[in-house]
Amino acid sequence: MADLLVVDAIEKVYGEGSAATRALSGVSFTVAEGEFASIVGQSGSGKSTLLNLIGLLDTPTSGRVTLTGENTTALGRAGRARLRNEALGFVFQFHYLLPEFSVWENLTMPVQIARRTVSGEERDRALETLALLGLEGLERKNANQLSGGQKQRVAIGRALMNRPKLILADEPTGNLDTANTEAVYELFRTINAELGTTFLIVTHDRVVAQQTDRILEVRDGELVQDVRNDYAG
Amino acid sequence: MLSLKIAARFLKSSPGQSALIIAGIAVGIATQIFVGSLITSLQADLIDAAVGSSPHITLLPGDGASTVPGTAATTASKSELLVATAIPVRTLSAIYTSGEDSVPLSIAGGDATDLGLIYNLEDRMVSGTYRLGAGEALVGTVFAAKYDVGPGDPLELLLPDGTMAEFTVSGVFDLGQATANERVAFVDAASAADALGLADDEYTAIQIQLTDVFASTEVADRLGSDNDVTATDWQEENAELLSGLAAQSGSSIMIQVFVLVAVALGIASTLAISAVQKTRQIGILKAIGMGDGAAGRIFLWQAALLGAGGTLGGIALGYALIWGFSFAPVPFSIRPEPTFIAISAGIGITVALLSSIIPARSTSRLDPIEVIQNG
Repeated sequence: MADLLVVDAIEKVYGEGSAATRALSGVSFTVAEGEFASIVGQSGSGKSTLLNLIGLLDTPTSGRVTLTGENTTALGRAGRARLRNEALGFVFQFHYLLPEFSVWENLTMPVQIARRTVSGEERDRALETLALLGLEGLERKNANQLSGGQKQRVAIGRALMNRPKLILADEPTGNLDTANTEAVYELFRTINAELGTTFLIVTHDRVVAQQTDRILEVRDGELVQDVRNDYAG
Repeated sequence: MLSLKIAARFLKSSPGQSALIIAGIAVGIATQIFVGSLITSLQADLIDAAVGSSPHITLLPGDGASTVPGTAATTASKSELLVATAIPVRTLSAIYTSGEDSVPLSIAGGDATDLGLIYNLEDRMVSGTYRLGAGEALVGTVFAAKYDVGPGDPLELLLPDGTMAEFTVSGVFDLGQATANERVAFVDAASAADALGLADDEYTAIQIQLTDVFASTEVADRLGSDNDVTATDWQEENAELLSGLAAQSGSSIMIQVFVLVAVALGIASTLAISAVQKTRQIGILKAIGMGDGAAGRIFLWQAALLGAGGTLGGIALGYALIWGFSFAPVPFSIRPEPTFIAISAGIGITVALLSSIIPARSTSRLDPIEVIQNG
């Protein structure tokens, strides 16, 4: 399969001079379309920094991130925002839903940000997503009226809405109980299988990582392990 | 228009905060409309009382001449678009004697219709008839009361040449000024010509009213240089009144400016608080692809909505205050000027938009990573 993501010798240094802290050092790897991979590491290992750089939320001090064939390090703020909207979907530990909007409005927000009114096809897709997430009938509810698990599922639906090539999930089940955690990973697997969406999941939990097909381990800002997990799924 | 939708939703999510700032803007705009309209109406009334029923420009005989031709009135009307009325008059001084009292009178002789155009006499009659037939005179209310003269009574005047002339009072007027009501009288044109020994086309002055009273100085300058006459205008003779009006306008503008500054600070601080309150939402919107410009426009729209709501409320409140003022025991009413109110509305919305610049800029600069990292 073609490379969807190429991370090439990226470094991230915070601060300058004697106060400089190296968060990532010479990290390189590629992710092919349709992969279901995880990035593991201890707290402070640099895994979230890596995810932020891949998610175009931050820029590397050196090195290059290429996404869908586009060199993202050459892009300005507007270009990165466009690519985040078109090619990426984010699921964070906290749902980050907009409390002023309904479930439907939160779900379709990426479409509206792309300066589009929600087309018939997108409406159908949103309804399918709601069905897939088990959220039928909740469209008109305010985001604040949902349970924690429901909110996280709406956030997953929002990440799926623009049919992104890559979904980046940062500790997506960190705030959920065991039942909801299993449900979310089953959902990720279903989406990966049915829609071919690539997943890159950041977690500190090796049990969670064991459920993915590929495990990349970051330690002290370096990629120390990149293994296939034949026991997953 | 997503920015507008989000702005409206942000405002709706904090109804108390939004209502307070809209009320703040409304009070500011209402104050501006009320104070501005009050001062404008007060000044218009003062100017009307001072010169509304008197000449704005008087053309007097030029150097070496003792009369002006009646045609000078027609010439002035034709040459100046701002001239509303120009009439030829014959002015003279006379003395009225009653027992041991004697009082000088300033007499204006002219056609009754013509004089009515300048002095608005028809509406200002309090007794008798507005008429200036041969040998008839109109006197003011103070004169009539002081010397017990009324319609139908004889009026004997000592003329400048030492002769006596007898008139019959046909009516009593009120020009709104005590001095004028005591010292001014009107007689017919022929009697004034006889008293002054003038021919039919000889007059002592041309009295002019303009459509714009404040154009009197420039029009007087032109008329004085173009014709063989000397022109005087009301502004020369009312310098103190004008300086009083200018000071009043200045203080009115100061009050309005400070009110607007207070409104601007109120909106800016509310939007700054809102920008902080909504940092998380803005951050996540940016994380999922909203551009810096669109994020900044959310606060521009919030300001526009607050400004529009506050301005509409302010106009309504301003009209209510003006209506309430109509019941106050004062001798004039406030007349709201639509143009001034439209300008106030424009200023209100502009001030609101300007107030949003700082929060809009800080929002557009916000990095989504700040929100994501800080949770």
